[in-house]
Amino acid sequence: MGGTLNDASSSAIELAPTRQQRPMLEIAGLRKRFGSVEVLRDVSLAVSPGEVVVVIGPSGSGKTTLLRCTNLLEEYEHGTIMIDGEPIGYRIDGRSGRRARMSEREIAKARERIGMVFQSFNLFPHMNVLQNIVAAPVRVKRIERRQAEARARELLAMVGLSDKAAEHPIRLSGGQQQRVAIARALAMDPKIMLFDEITSALDPELVGEVLAAMQQLASDGMTMVVVTHEMSFARDIADRIVFMDGGVIVEEGKPDQLLFAPQTERVRAFLKRYNDRYRI
Amino acid sequence: MKEFGPLIHSFWYLLRGAEMTVLMATSAVVPATILGVLLSLLHVFGGRLLRSAILGYLFLIRGIPLLVLLTFVYYLLPLTGIDLPPFWGVVLVISLYYAAFISEVFRAGILSLPQAQWDAARSLGMTRGLLLQIVILPQALRLAAPPYVSLCVSLVKATSLVSIVGLWELTMASREVVERTLAPFQIFIGAAAIYFCICYTLALYGRHLERRVLLGH
Repeated sequence: MGGTLNDASSSAIELAPTRQQRPMLEIAGLRKRFGSVEVLRDVSLAVSPGEVVVVIGPSGSGKTTLLRCTNLLEEYEHGTIMIDGEPIGYRIDGRSGRRARMSEREIAKARERIGMVFQSFNLFPHMNVLQNIVAAPVRVKRIERRQAEARARELLAMVGLSDKAAEHPIRLSGGQQQRVAIARALAMDPKIMLFDEITSALDPELVGEVLAAMQQLASDGMTMVVVTHEMSFARDIADRIVFMDGGVIVEEGKPDQLLFAPQTERVRAFLKRYNDRYRI
Repeated sequence: MKEFGPLIHSFWYLLRGAEMTVLMATSAVVPATILGVLLSLLHVFGGRLLRSAILGYLFLIRGIPLLVLLTFVYYLLPLTGIDLPPFWGVVLVISLYYAAFISEVFRAGILSLPQAQWDAARSLGMTRGLLLQIVILPQALRLAAPPYVSLCVSLVKATSLVSIVGLWELTMASREVVERTLAPFQIFIGAAAIYFCICYTLALYGRHLERRVLLGH
């Protein structure tokens, strides 16, 4: 992890999609405002199956809002979001072209296909680790409890927490809680995982264990959209990095290209400030 | 000890009055709790009209003393032709009165949960009903438990007001004994001690719940 991001040689620009399949996630013309502030301005993004897209950018650039809109934790005013070819949140009427909000039940159903892990873990404090993981598969997907528990134990083993099944979240470290949160999201067998700055609330010493779990997930072929400030991690894990600022995607490209040979002044300025501060 | 002779002689009579107090309080606390939880859910999740109606009810209840309500209903019921035994009339008034306060305690419990818990449950594909059932309410009820027990203590003490409308319970029993024995201090010390024992037991339970909630979070 030594050296700065700008000291490597630039790589060829490869923005053309590397896979021909239908995108797992397709966001088109997304607009979102909070009151008078437009936080997402016509954002479009396609993520192929198995692709890992890392979203970086300064605070307030709209990264988290983009993720939250993706599974409709935030409503949006304009645009479409498709997961594996199916819309989430709103569908456009073919004849009138009008946007109609899907029912709560339909939205809940669509969310089953999207796993999300949050910055503040958000485990359910009144349930132990195993209960946290099996609650949704059993009650939402109607999977038999014994089967769900077996799967939960597999996932706990994957994130290195086999011995913590009976613990309550309060008794776990931040890193352990975050790994449980990853296991909980995976238990729903999602088609895509969204990670929202999941290491930001952790001790530097605990960041590694969470990133390792994500790395494992990426190498298993999971489609992932990751919002992070961990540039080294972004470089290691991403197939593509997207830089956002002011509610728009300013630049996107392969990690080496975007981090070491950015095309825009805005990205250069951001990376320079980052390097001055962290010297990764 | 001789001064407490009237109390000792009438102690079992007072205990029978206390039994009625506990029966009345228990009969009122169950519907008050059910109605209180229901009102809190409707207040948080209901439409604007429903929320306004509940708010109006809460302000009305908050602004009228229980004794005035009890007396009002005592005179009102016979006029409306509703033939309700006085015991159940009183239980109805106390239930409706305390349901308002209990609903505020549970509403505070629901609203005090961080938005993150809702987000996490939604992101796992839970519908509103399911996330309420398995994520929000279990936590909200735990948070609301200590103030809820305090309200139950207050409800037990409020049953002493029903003696004004002629219902027999511990306070009424004490007044009867005082009229017979002319020993108000000794008898009411005895009545106060019995009330204290009932309420202290409840309060201890409340403290126990509070410790569990603090440990759990």
